[in-house]
Amino acid sequence: MKRNWRNLTATILTVILGCVLFYVGTDGFRAYTAESARTYKLLKEKPEFPNVTLEDSKGRVYSFSELKGKNIMLTFIYTACSDVCPKLEMNLAEVYQQIPATYIGKDLLFLSISFDPARDDVETLEKYRKAFGSDGDTWRMARIADQNELNELLEEFGVIVIPDGEGGFTHNSAFYLVNKKGYLEEVMDFTKIDEAVNTVINLLENEVEE
Amino acid sequence: MKQAILGIILYGILCIPPLTNYMESIMIVHMLIQLPLLILVGWLIGKPILRKFQHFFANWNTNGVPGIILFIFITMYWMLPRAIDEAVSEWYIELFKFIGLPIIGLCIRDSWSKIQTLGRSFIFLNYLPMFGLMAWLYIDSPIQICNNYLESQQKVLGWGFLVITIWMVLYVIQAVFTDQSDHNTKKSTGT
Repeated sequence: MKRNWRNLTATILTVILGCVLFYVGTDGFRAYTAESARTYKLLKEKPEFPNVTLEDSKGRVYSFSELKGKNIMLTFIYTACSDVCPKLEMNLAEVYQQIPATYIGKDLLFLSISFDPARDDVETLEKYRKAFGSDGDTWRMARIADQNELNELLEEFGVIVIPDGEGGFTHNSAFYLVNKKGYLEEVMDFTKIDEAVNTVINLLENEVEE
Repeated sequence: MKQAILGIILYGILCIPPLTNYMESIMIVHMLIQLPLLILVGWLIGKPILRKFQHFFANWNTNGVPGIILFIFITMYWMLPRAIDEAVSEWYIELFKFIGLPIIGLCIRDSWSKIQTLGRSFIFLNYLPMFGLMAWLYIDSPIQICNNYLESQQKVLGWGFLVITIWMVLYVIQAVFTDQSDHNTKKSTGT
């Protein structure tokens, strides 16, 4: 009989331990994949966007801080990408069209950042820009020429880029919204265009009321 | 003792950094070779440990249930796509892997002999659909589930799980339909 209470205690303890493991391991049953965990962590921490130096498709060079005061809708891409990036950019174009024109350029900028600075030079970005109908001003395509700055940004935002062995990269994709103060505000599923549009419009409307 | 030495050698080999990195760079090797081998390490080393702490295990794992519960929880945790992803990018998850899995190997060695046939069948039939589900998840997923692994590797892992599932189903079928009268002569007397 004495033995049994120990066994019972051990049983209960292991069950509790197991539940704790799952609770902690999934951020309280919220994130079952590393990608959802990344999004959850980003939204909780809302990191500041590092002050990187951008070089856009028109050859202009400026630091990210110069864009402060506007909300920025961001994506990470590389132009040689053949699967997810075109989809991502097509969806971004869709979002761009659905946002009321009054906001665009004034309160909201679109920015596609290339993480392949070696190949994505100014001309390549310019070609890519035209392909997606971006005007290069309210929707800019830019690269971060400095590899250290780029790595820091990818690290901060948890963008994992892996070479796919065929000269391309695979990476986790999303829409990111950086607010006027330069902090991350939202991470959105890039496959849900309408949802992203609503989120952005809500945010813009709230700002106007303030 | 031989087994324990074998286990320690195996553990030592698995801990060699270049080999660890190599194994973890291929999804199916990470999931279906490295993880089971770490459990095997615990099972092998378990023999002398269980003998030495016989009293402790008899007290705290009398019917084998606590050990089995721990085993199930930790193996289920490693089925989360997130776990193997984070084992690659976070050092503390990696550490947990190298400590936790040998421990449950030890637990299963102690518990498996203690639990009844019903318990064993329950566990076996619990893992069968779980592996089937993993196979379906990884083969059928249109998106990349793990950030550190490519979609093509994900599919390979899915097929690996499918092979295991099929093997388990075949095992169940042969266990059900082959003559087991040697084991339970009493039952077979009835019509």
